[in-house]
Amino acid sequence: MTPVSANGAIRNGLIAFAFLGYLILIGIPGRLGGSALPVLALVAALFFWVKLRFDAPDTGGAGLPGGSAEGKPGWQIGAPGQSSGRGVGALFPGRGGTLVLRHGLLAGVTTGLLIAGMSLAFASAIGSGASIQPVLDKIVPVNVGALIGVSPGQIANDDVPLFRYPLQVLFFTVAGLFAALAAVAARARNLQTTSMARLSAYLDSLPFRTTARFAGIALPFLLLAYIVWLGIPGVSAFGSNEGTVRLLFTLIATGSGLFAIRLAHPGREQKIVALLLALGVLTMPFILDQFQNSVMGLVFIFVMMGLGLNIVVGYAGLLDLGYVAFFAIGAYTYAFLSAPFSSPYISNLLNLLGISPEIPLLGYWTALPVAMLTAAIGGILLGIPVLRLRGDYLAIVTLGFGEIIRLFMLNLGELTNGPRGILEISQPGLFGLPPQSFSSGLLSSQGWIFLVALVSSAVVAFVAIRLNDSRLGRAWFAMQEDEDVAEATGVHLVRTKLLAFAIGATFAGMAGQLYASRQINIFPENFSLFVSIDALALIIVGGIGSPAGIVLGALALKGLPEVLRGVDEYRIVTFAALLVIMMIVRPAGILPSARRRVQVSPTDEQGPTTAAEERENDASLPAQGPPARPEDARSEEPA
Amino acid sequence: MAPSRLTAQAAGVNGKTALRFLLRAFGAAILVLVIWRVTTVGLAEGYPASFWISQALNGLVLGGVYALVALGYTLVYGILFMINFAHGEVMMIGGIAGFFALQFSQSRGWLEGPWPVVVVALLLIMLFGMAASVLIGITLERLAYRPLRQAPRLVPLISAIGASLFLQYSVLLIFGVSPHSYRKPALISGGMRMGDVFIPYTGAIIFITSILLMLALYFIIQRTKLGRAMRAVAEDRATASLMGVDVNAVIVITFMLGSALAGAAGVMLGFHNTVVKFNSGFVPGLKAFTAAVLGGIGNIPGAMFGALILGLIEAIGPSALGIPTEYKDVIAFTLLVLILIFRPTGLFGEVLSEKKA
Amino acid sequence: MTALLSIQAVTKVFGGLTAVDNVDVDIAERSITSLIGPNGAGKTTLFNCLTGLHRPEAGEILFDGRSLIGLRPDEITARGVARTYQNIRLFGRMTALENVLVGQHLRLHASHWSAILRSTRQQAEERAARTFALELLAFVGLESHAEVVSTNLPYGEQRLLEVARALGSRPSLLLLDEPAAGMNPSETDRMMELVHRLRDEMGITIFLIEHDMKVVMSVSETVAVLDYGEKIAEGTPEEVRANARVVEAYLGPEVVLQDTADTPNL
Repeated sequence: MTPVSANGAIRNGLIAFAFLGYLILIGIPGRLGGSALPVLALVAALFFWVKLRFDAPDTGGAGLPGGSAEGKPGWQIGAPGQSSGRGVGALFPGRGGTLVLRHGLLAGVTTGLLIAGMSLAFASAIGSGASIQPVLDKIVPVNVGALIGVSPGQIANDDVPLFRYPLQVLFFTVAGLFAALAAVAARARNLQTTSMARLSAYLDSLPFRTTARFAGIALPFLLLAYIVWLGIPGVSAFGSNEGTVRLLFTLIATGSGLFAIRLAHPGREQKIVALLLALGVLTMPFILDQFQNSVMGLVFIFVMMGLGLNIVVGYAGLLDLGYVAFFAIGAYTYAFLSAPFSSPYISNLLNLLGISPEIPLLGYWTALPVAMLTAAIGGILLGIPVLRLRGDYLAIVTLGFGEIIRLFMLNLGELTNGPRGILEISQPGLFGLPPQSFSSGLLSSQGWIFLVALVSSAVVAFVAIRLNDSRLGRAWFAMQEDEDVAEATGVHLVRTKLLAFAIGATFAGMAGQLYASRQINIFPENFSLFVSIDALALIIVGGIGSPAGIVLGALALKGLPEVLRGVDEYRIVTFAALLVIMMIVRPAGILPSARRRVQVSPTDEQGPTTAAEERENDASLPAQGPPARPEDARSEEPA
Repeated sequence: MAPSRLTAQAAGVNGKTALRFLLRAFGAAILVLVIWRVTTVGLAEGYPASFWISQALNGLVLGGVYALVALGYTLVYGILFMINFAHGEVMMIGGIAGFFALQFSQSRGWLEGPWPVVVVALLLIMLFGMAASVLIGITLERLAYRPLRQAPRLVPLISAIGASLFLQYSVLLIFGVSPHSYRKPALISGGMRMGDVFIPYTGAIIFITSILLMLALYFIIQRTKLGRAMRAVAEDRATASLMGVDVNAVIVITFMLGSALAGAAGVMLGFHNTVVKFNSGFVPGLKAFTAAVLGGIGNIPGAMFGALILGLIEAIGPSALGIPTEYKDVIAFTLLVLILIFRPTGLFGEVLSEKKA
Repeated sequence: MTALLSIQAVTKVFGGLTAVDNVDVDIAERSITSLIGPNGAGKTTLFNCLTGLHRPEAGEILFDGRSLIGLRPDEITARGVARTYQNIRLFGRMTALENVLVGQHLRLHASHWSAILRSTRQQAEERAARTFALELLAFVGLESHAEVVSTNLPYGEQRLLEVARALGSRPSLLLLDEPAAGMNPSETDRMMELVHRLRDEMGITIFLIEHDMKVVMSVSETVAVLDYGEKIAEGTPEEVRANARVVEAYLGPEVVLQDTADTPNL
């Protein structure tokens, strides 16, 4: 192939610019302040490094015929005779090394020039008084200033020293060079075989494993102890903001507890660890403060949601995007029963039954069966029409159902009080005691909610796991695998599906009821499509079909954003991008269930990382590209 | 292939089961209810005929826009068997880009010029919106869908949901929360009067443009080499690639075509609704999907007619049933649910149902 | 002797195509009957009618004296009809043992509440189910693979596992759709032996579709031949082998029988 001059480098530079440009447009530099430019350069360097390492893997056997046919045209940097494969002979030390450096340099310069141009355009536009802000929301002096490395005032007054722009270019050029150097260095094989091999041998060694295992099991307990320590008045973590730090550690402690249980040997050891952890977690509502408890309460409400949705999606394989409907039914049922607002419909109904519409009608625990039952009936009613639908169609119809329910809540003012919501929903009591009597001293009101959420999630998880272990669980899974064969094997499809919908809905109803009493006031907006998507996302991120994964997913998706209050604005985009990346990189989730692992393991193991690494270890073997590569290469030829 | 055939016919067996009976009864009850509402409430209101006609025209306009978006769903579904959940967002981005092109044209004074200049400027605005959508559409395919082609079907759908959220909230972050309002140039802001019926120029232009675009698409698919390649890939990807069709290129072009139509729809919807904002693609996207399903997903003429029917129902429905217009979304979603329950292959048949399972 | 399964004038039409045309077959209890015919003759369609996947347009199917028409597949399985599939359709991500446990679904009756509470009765039932599943796996020769995920089993063993799963529902009639398709000769022999043992040791009536003439001729007591949806012959293997119409329709006019016996599996 002809040595394509610099196409590849320039293209990489452009891609890096597109990504950085996006970060600039959403206002990241402004958030980073003074460190914006170095951080962006670092991001660019990382990108270049990844591209250099994985886009041009070592094809090893120099001059492999056919290697170049597969290659991307943009990657041919070397001279024809000298470059092998995808211009990757270029990655060997010697002349190839310089070529890689040239590639990095070119890519960096491209990105730098574009960024500088963009900054110049923004700075001069703001300086000249053009009103960019209503169009590009985040292009304000603070953001542009951070990007260029000057104060916002200088931007507003059009007072940017001109040398700042070449400086920007320099930053990115250095980033490109640095990435190239790192890539070349990684290629130098000595580095690979000695230090890396020694490290991995050590990681595999028995003493290390034993130590790591004990450390893993001890970690959650240490964290819990630290959280208690932080609770002592006068103790602070890292100076300030100890509340957030404490919340973060609570999340990590709970999450690492799940790993600790996995690390323990099955049998007695595992039981003891699990029991101790459960005790530790149960004390948390008593030691955390109102804010931390409210976040943890929300996390565990979503654990219940996730466990319920997991029955429908993970066990029975029915993709339900309207799951929020049952959450809403649970919440509104409890609201009707316990809040002062009473709709004319319900008062009439009560009068008809000869009950005086006194408020609250039922307490939390007496209302619980009602909420569960209502939600279960809702599950069955919504389930019947969609029984014959599969896959994508089911997803869309259930999504439609969720929206219909929300629109009804919004528009049926007489029943649901419309957008004004239902206010003053009462809190759970205990054995006839009103909530206030015990939620004052020892336990904050949110701590009480957290405790109820914890216990309810435990019950829900118990039921879900037991059901999944029974013939019903097998029937669900069989149905997910092959509906027709499952039916021919004797599974009553209608009953089995409706049971999944009903049980899933029951759990969502429980979660909804607790959510209503946590929120005290509920509005139709609390029950948007995003609740469904959050619930779905948390089971996917955690690992479909795995209850432990669901807890982890809820901690990560509902807990972490509260810790990262400052970046709340970027929560959804980050989360959405992660969802896409997760689907590509690890579709089985963080803590996948055993069955899912079977399903996805082939794609998991052929991921670019492993493939590339294997090749590195044995460069003499003619390497095969990861499966996606031929396709990639073809599509990128100019059409 | 065999499983799908089994399922299709398995549905036939269950014909006499109680469930099917229940569903039929449910459907009949809804039908009776609808007819009862229409005769007792809708018609009893005594709206003049001109009211119904202008509502119907409104519906056709909306239907034309939905049709353009629905075609994108159907094209992609026909080839990849996946629901491009982010397609509504692709449309919204076309609308946003069109807004900026419109601002630019206004700042240059092109829209106050003589009519040929205005027409050219409007065309350019639409082309700009289409270009932006195409860019987003192919990026989406490359980054979010292509790596997942071999994955189980749930995986690309979730990726698409992620992409949809990502696009919405990126637009929110970049362009702000406040809606961007389209200001119509004077030339097209009026309307004409036929008898008692008032037809706004924008409505007429939108309808005609969407019909032209649909005809162009139909021509591309039925009469060109490219269209033949697309149909071949839709029929059987593996065989098509053995016959020398570059499957990747065809998929990219499919996304380009669908996105271009969505972009045009985004701009026209901007003129129609007068505003665009970050989430203004979501509901129309769902509606367009409904339309695609209504006509039988994967079926191109089906998507066009399905969308027109949906537009009509949405425009006439609330008044005919005598319910507030806030419920028009409920009508659309209920229709979607009913169609999928009673005729999952759509009114005109899902062309590619064989390979679905 | 009354027939266990009596197919009477069954007709199944797809669009304009009559896939099964007025077919009568009687299958005696504890017999082994083969259904043969060229590709597309309607054999699998007939099986699908028997198991409730298709509903025939006309005709009657009596099993044990009661009609199967209009029943759901799971109801038919509950009556005692089980089947395997031409293209293996196991629950791929389940282990072999779990596949057989799903096969027993209909024979387990513990309530879901008792599953949540793990009542002694439910536990006993689960234990018995596992024991029975392991026995069935041993019966087909897969006892050592109980914990293997079924997609990871070799092809021939997947077919055996399908049989074991079907046995889980304790059927009195077993429909085998090309049990030996794609198998090598030694696997085929193993499958033929299994078919005999199913009948002799478990007393199950066997109705099978097969392309491999060697299997058909050696295993079956009665052979029914379909061509273009019509039954063109029925009788003992020898009678069918001698039937001129079968030779012509099924094997082509000029072919000598000896050749087809050696024809590789289709």
